[in-house]
Amino acid sequence: MTGAILAVDGIEHTYAGEVLALDGLSLTVPRGCRLAVLGSNGCGKTTLFLHLNGSLRPGRGRIELGGEPVSYGRAALMGWRSRVGLVLQDPDDQLFAATVAEDVSFGPLNLGLSGPEVRRRVAEALAAVGIADLAERSTHMLSYGQKRRVTLAGVLAMRPEVILLDEPTAGLDARGAELLLAALERLNAGGTTLVFSTHDIDFAYGWADRVAVLAGGRCLREGAPATVLADAGLLAEAGLRRPLLLDIAEAAGVPPGGRDEILARLAERKTGS
Amino acid sequence: MLATDRHAWTNRWRFIHPGEKALFVAGLLAADFALPALAVAPQVFWAAYLATVTGARVPGRAFWGVMAVPMLFLLAGIPALALSLNLDGAGPLLSLSPEGLALAAAVSLRSLAAVACLAFLILTTPVPDLLALARRLGLPPALVELAYLMHRLVFVVLERASAARQAQEARLGYRTFGTSIRSLGLLGGGLFLRSLDRGRRLDLGLAARGYHGELRVLGREPELSVKRLALAVLAVLVVVALALVQP
Ligand SMILES: Nc1ncnc2c1ncn2[C@@H]1O[C@H](COP(=O)(O)OP(=O)(O)O)[C@@H](O)[C@H]1O
Ligand SMILES: [Mg+2]
Repeated sequence: MTGAILAVDGIEHTYAGEVLALDGLSLTVPRGCRLAVLGSNGCGKTTLFLHLNGSLRPGRGRIELGGEPVSYGRAALMGWRSRVGLVLQDPDDQLFAATVAEDVSFGPLNLGLSGPEVRRRVAEALAAVGIADLAERSTHMLSYGQKRRVTLAGVLAMRPEVILLDEPTAGLDARGAELLLAALERLNAGGTTLVFSTHDIDFAYGWADRVAVLAGGRCLREGAPATVLADAGLLAEAGLRRPLLLDIAEAAGVPPGGRDEILARLAERKTGS
Repeated sequence: MLATDRHAWTNRWRFIHPGEKALFVAGLLAADFALPALAVAPQVFWAAYLATVTGARVPGRAFWGVMAVPMLFLLAGIPALALSLNLDGAGPLLSLSPEGLALAAAVSLRSLAAVACLAFLILTTPVPDLLALARRLGLPPALVELAYLMHRLVFVVLERASAARQAQEARLGYRTFGTSIRSLGLLGGGLFLRSLDRGRRLDLGLAARGYHGELRVLGREPELSVKRLALAVLAVLVVVALALVQP
């Protein structure tokens, strides 16, 4: 590990003076990881993400970006958001421009880049998520899955070090999810840190290299999926069920482990018997 | 409305500079109002129709669809123009005079032709392109930005409204007149609250992408072609000539 890119320590957030959405949450995001923030509805995932890019300010607690405490001045926020991109759950909350290419150009232009550089980045971002052919399409004539990839491209074009994705696979069909995940895998391989929220434990178990389990506005535990998600007591407390893969491993009588380990052991058993 | 929008985005002349189309329309409108109506209006009408259907390849059905409502209004207005009410004599007298008839015909034809020109413009040019043109012609940027965002949000709200209405229908919200009224009220109220909520989240979403008070995007800048500008002028001149040679 080359250290934490983002770290939050004991942050609290109260909406409208009454709903305590974050209750002393602490979490570190290692550079280059694929971190799944796992928890049931209303546990505070979205609120946490809004803190991780400076959209919301904690009532109490500290946030560090790249080892430095953050500040909330105009210039500081601008720098923060160019390093940490956020993809909201509902694409209609982020798409505003008339065409796909115009929409994707919005972020890079805000960074003050030149016209040709912006054009280059737009083309690159659209290609990265596999929708180069949609560049001149109107944003309200896209499918839901396409809209989500456009919002991702809009964030990518700013070349952030970290991308926060709120429920990236929710509402996508298998094909849509596959295309999105393929794009994310390429990014991650290129060094971009990914943090995504989900309540889909099987997705987190199979795809993340690190998970943080949230409940009631706190982070109950973080670590490798194979260890954290094997803890039955923890899952019960967070209102999550056991990963399917662990059920299968148990039924087949192979020892638990990460996804690849379990699959390898199952394959071994099949060829062995 | 949605059909119009779809044609605007997909027609053959979509990437032609909006300024060229605007010049064509401005020329036609000027001719329409400057020359005698009976001679010029039909030419203007057909020029707009041909440009839309033959030029931009928008289906004729879409053109007539846009024209239908204004045409109805015009037809409804003809009697009011053609008949004149005379209060001088003994008792009110409603009469149909030749002048009244001519006036009604002239006004209707002129208006129809003018509406056809606008139909051409909205069927071949997406609203954001028209707004970009308006900005270049000197409309205040803040106003243009507002219109731009509203245009986008209209579609989002429409989508929500139809989904919410379907959900209400599924729960028998429109079974009787009474429940319909109640459902519609709830729908409106809900949409209002959601629009507020959406506005708040759009603000967050745009801020996450570095928004600081200006919605700048890199539009494609279609080239202003001198050749096409000349063609637009030529087309207008042909219309004028046709109008003038008529008896
Ligand atoms: N804008 C808001 N106003 C008031 N309460 C909110 C708002 N957004 C979220 N909450 C509340 O804060 C808690 C955490 O919400 P959220 O972060 O959206 O959870 P998650 O994304 O994990 O589903 C929930 O109890 C939710 O009802
Ligand atoms: Mg959420």
